[in-house]
Amino acid sequence: MTGARHITALRALWVTAILAFLYVPIMSVVLASMANTRYMRFPHKVWTLDAYREAIASFTTWQIHAISFWIAVYVVIFAVLLGTLGAVAFARFDWRGRSVFQRLLVLPIFFPQPVLGLALLLSLNAVGLAPSWKTAIVAHLVWIVPIVTLVISIRFFGYDPAQEEAARDLGANRWQVIREVTLPALWPGIFSGALFAFLLSWSNLPLSVYTSGPDTPLPVWLFSRTATNYSPLVPSVAVIGTLISALLVVSLALLLITARRLRAPRG
Amino acid sequence: MRTRTSPGPWFAAPVAVFMLLCFAAPILIVTWYSLMPSRTFDLTGALTTENYRAAFTEGYTRPLLWSLLGAATTTVITALLAWPTAVILHRYAGKWASVTSALIALPIFISESVRLFGMSVFLMPRGGILAGSLNAVFGIQIGSILNTWAAAQLGMIYIHLPFMLFPLLLGVSLIPADRIEAARDLGASRWQTFREVELPLAAPGLLIGALLTFVLCLGANAEAAILGGRAVTVITAAIEQRFNYAQDWPMGAALTVLVILVTALIVLPVLSRLDLNKLTRR
Repeated sequence: MTGARHITALRALWVTAILAFLYVPIMSVVLASMANTRYMRFPHKVWTLDAYREAIASFTTWQIHAISFWIAVYVVIFAVLLGTLGAVAFARFDWRGRSVFQRLLVLPIFFPQPVLGLALLLSLNAVGLAPSWKTAIVAHLVWIVPIVTLVISIRFFGYDPAQEEAARDLGANRWQVIREVTLPALWPGIFSGALFAFLLSWSNLPLSVYTSGPDTPLPVWLFSRTATNYSPLVPSVAVIGTLISALLVVSLALLLITARRLRAPRG
Repeated sequence: MRTRTSPGPWFAAPVAVFMLLCFAAPILIVTWYSLMPSRTFDLTGALTTENYRAAFTEGYTRPLLWSLLGAATTTVITALLAWPTAVILHRYAGKWASVTSALIALPIFISESVRLFGMSVFLMPRGGILAGSLNAVFGIQIGSILNTWAAAQLGMIYIHLPFMLFPLLLGVSLIPADRIEAARDLGASRWQTFREVELPLAAPGLLIGALLTFVLCLGANAEAAILGGRAVTVITAAIEQRFNYAQDWPMGAALTVLVILVTALIVLPVLSRLDLNKLTRR
């Protein structure tokens, strides 16, 4: 009996250690942001939130967040449009060439991102386009569209196409079938797909670093300031940027729960 | 039954066109560039394989080997860390399973720059989080692995662990519990059960995790830059140098093509064997 308890404790310890490995560096960023010295001397003599005040007062902070935000917004729009159509082809219909389409579509996921970024940079130069936040959107999409397509497809595989025929037999026209039957089945996938797209774009470094040109998104700014010109401003901006994405996830989750609560009494 | 010509291709078309223009075309352009004479900037020169010869004779094999070694090491170590974790989460964690899985997934959505920066302040010598705390609490002074290959390797394991764990969790969930019991009842040892029953059944998940981890690490650059202090030059850093500082696009393109070839050689055979329908339908 004690042996079994030991093993249970050991298992808990293992998982805790893995979680610690994943979260200690993230906590370290928070700790580093509370210093007021240029060189880290932990434990800090003075614990302060000055770096956050400086970050909020600085124009650059707002600018890099705005750039990241707009890139992510456009990525969400295009990725959801392309991904939804792609998922219908991926999961709803059985057609000749589907398995080839499925395999080719996942290729960009299994591709080293910095290498993709460099290949895109060279191609932009070749066709005479200057890299900017707009080209970063395209670069993000190459990687994110396949992921969003997969996410929507997974939710869509459980869908029974016979429902569409049933609706048609009951007299629904083509548009009504799409609105009343197909889209409601797609919604959960589209919702998670859009969330994935936003978060992955917001945090992406390896594609942005080569394709955003003079426009610096948040992760690229953090990357370059970590290497040179470090100050507690860097970790505080990192914390702010991460909190924004966390806030988005939490508020969307709350929205979803409220929507479900509101719908429940009717149904 | 209703229609012989399925609308499938029409729905696939927008994605397919986008991928042709923004994924396939750039690869073709890079390949074409790699066949141009050294230090030229347009695509009209006479075709040459000189860049590839130079890639193998002028010291570029070292960065490529570093990247391959780093990717292989990371794949093996993350698999060793992730397997027991996946088994515990799937079989023993009970009500904690979903919370723990979510906690493990979360870091994927936190930028690599943030997490690697955190790792570097943790490892920093003297005033770093680890060294500083040990000194303040226990009076112990320790060195630091920051700015060495080991730190870059640790960073790669740290960043890619979730990418291995998730497919593996899927893989482990493919093992029916009664199959393990049956094997044990028939007198198989723990190791035999693992090798003959669990591993083959979980193979699709393990394969996807390993593929994802290996390929992502092959291009990994930020780990070596932030944690490794450029103690070693990885292949992406070598390519970047060719593009930016040396202004030798064809050479950079040739190195890019080599990485793409290595990736294709590893990804395509595995991918052609996986049944994506079966895996995504779960």
